[in-house]
Amino acid sequence: MAENLIALFKEELAKGKLLGSKCKNCGAAFIPPRKFCPHCGGEAEAFTFKGEGTIESFTVIHVAPKQFAGSAPYILALVRLDGGAMLMGRLQGFDPSKPEEIPLGGKVKFEPLKEKRGEAEEVIPSFKPV
Amino acid sequence: MPVRDVYVIGAGMTPFSGKLHAGKTGRELLVEATLEAVKSVDKGIDLKRDVEAVFVGYFTPELYEHQSHIGPLAASWLGLTPKPAFRTEIACASSSAALFAGITAIASGVCDLVLVGGVEKMTNLDTFGVTEALAMASDDLSESRVGATFPGLYALLAQAYFRRYGATWEQLQKVPIKNHYNGSLNPKAHFQQTIAQLAEKVGAKEGVKYRDELDFLKNSPFNRVVAYPLRLFDCCPISDGAAVAFLASSEVARKFTDTPLRLLGVGMGSDSVALQDRVELTSLRATRSAAEMAYKMAGIEPKDVDVAEVHDCFTIAEWLAVEDLGLIGKGEAPKAYAEGLTNIDGEIPVNTDGGLKAKGHPVGATGVGMLNEIWHQLRGTAGKRQVKKKAEVGLIHNVGGSGASAAVFIFGR
Repeated sequence: MAENLIALFKEELAKGKLLGSKCKNCGAAFIPPRKFCPHCGGEAEAFTFKGEGTIESFTVIHVAPKQFAGSAPYILALVRLDGGAMLMGRLQGFDPSKPEEIPLGGKVKFEPLKEKRGEAEEVIPSFKPV
Repeated sequence: MPVRDVYVIGAGMTPFSGKLHAGKTGRELLVEATLEAVKSVDKGIDLKRDVEAVFVGYFTPELYEHQSHIGPLAASWLGLTPKPAFRTEIACASSSAALFAGITAIASGVCDLVLVGGVEKMTNLDTFGVTEALAMASDDLSESRVGATFPGLYALLAQAYFRRYGATWEQLQKVPIKNHYNGSLNPKAHFQQTIAQLAEKVGAKEGVKYRDELDFLKNSPFNRVVAYPLRLFDCCPISDGAAVAFLASSEVARKFTDTPLRLLGVGMGSDSVALQDRVELTSLRATRSAAEMAYKMAGIEPKDVDVAEVHDCFTIAEWLAVEDLGLIGKGEAPKAYAEGLTNIDGEIPVNTDGGLKAKGHPVGATGVGMLNEIWHQLRGTAGKRQVKKKAEVGLIHNVGGSGASAAVFIFGR
């Protein structure tokens, strides 16, 4: 297993690929990849997620940190991916002013999202309805 | 079990406030809280002679005051150099880490008397700055970089709770209504107005007469959405403040007071910083683990607790806390709060000082601030907010971040 797992994760994320790990002991899955299971402490092995899942929880951020203020209000979701891991990302394709229309448990698909951070650009996870 | 028993022989704190401490520094707040604590010691204490070590919690002094190295800074401003002095940091539970460190120093026999405390000088930054400072307690890689804020993380927990137990935001509003009422009885609280009083005041400005607290919380534009479904009154304020307590060994405690508090149990727990790595979202594993450790050491059960201080940085946090501590059954908080079980005159009074919501949450000071309230409740000196029943056992529960750290302390008389 490569040592620079997080750098690799970021690189692949930008290409639309979700690298993570699965625990050899308890079977729990998580993102980004790492050596130890955060649940049971067992040894973890590399696992690539397909990027489809369901909305486990969501919120609409109205009061945002300064570098995100231009995007507010925006929707953040915790998505339970097929394969077990949870992943936080921006939820697209819904109206932030109508949170009651966002379906908990609804099916979504991963997509990398490029965002400006001052001069630089950052790629973060996002999801769109299937 | 500890090698030696540990006692609390004094406790003091500054008022927690968003305005009062403008222009002061964190070190001055620590001195102010320490002088209050000195006054609380029944038979007197000489700082220089009696204190053997200093443990101080402060979450992000680097951002608020461009300052690290808080341990010796505190010691020198308290006239306590060259004694051992440390800063402890586990986000919003930083002073609980100081308390834990102080307890281990006494229980192990290394020290006989130590000062534990905490401070946070938050109003040095504006709301944007504080939001960013607090976000440092979340996982930078998977949370802050995606645009998560602390209200946002707890909003995710709230949504998960609502979904699992069929609870509603309206039911959750019993938390701020109770805590603001309790805060109105606490002269050191950040907010000393009930929500009914605020509804009348804000309503007068808006030209609206609100039917009751819920009508106000639901319909006033003043209670704006911060992170759906959480609104302004679901969040604790930005406060300055410091809190201090003195811990002593069984050998020396009674030289200082005939009525110390005795530490019955202590527990601390950790969990993944990132919410996405947690096993579940409707319960905090770190709290459950810390509570199990503390109850076991104390040899008591949740039903033996007479009064509790729990971590209510956001309304949903109080529900998760009372359930994870076993004070109320899992999923039963909505019903328990509707029945007033946690009110000052209820079966299990919770956050009698107003909680983080109304008393305020100067992050690093909160754990020892909670100890100040238990100090008063168990000694019968809590004034207007004194619990009605005889309080023999008091519990403190302090959370760091969105639940990656948790501390539970149980005290008796």
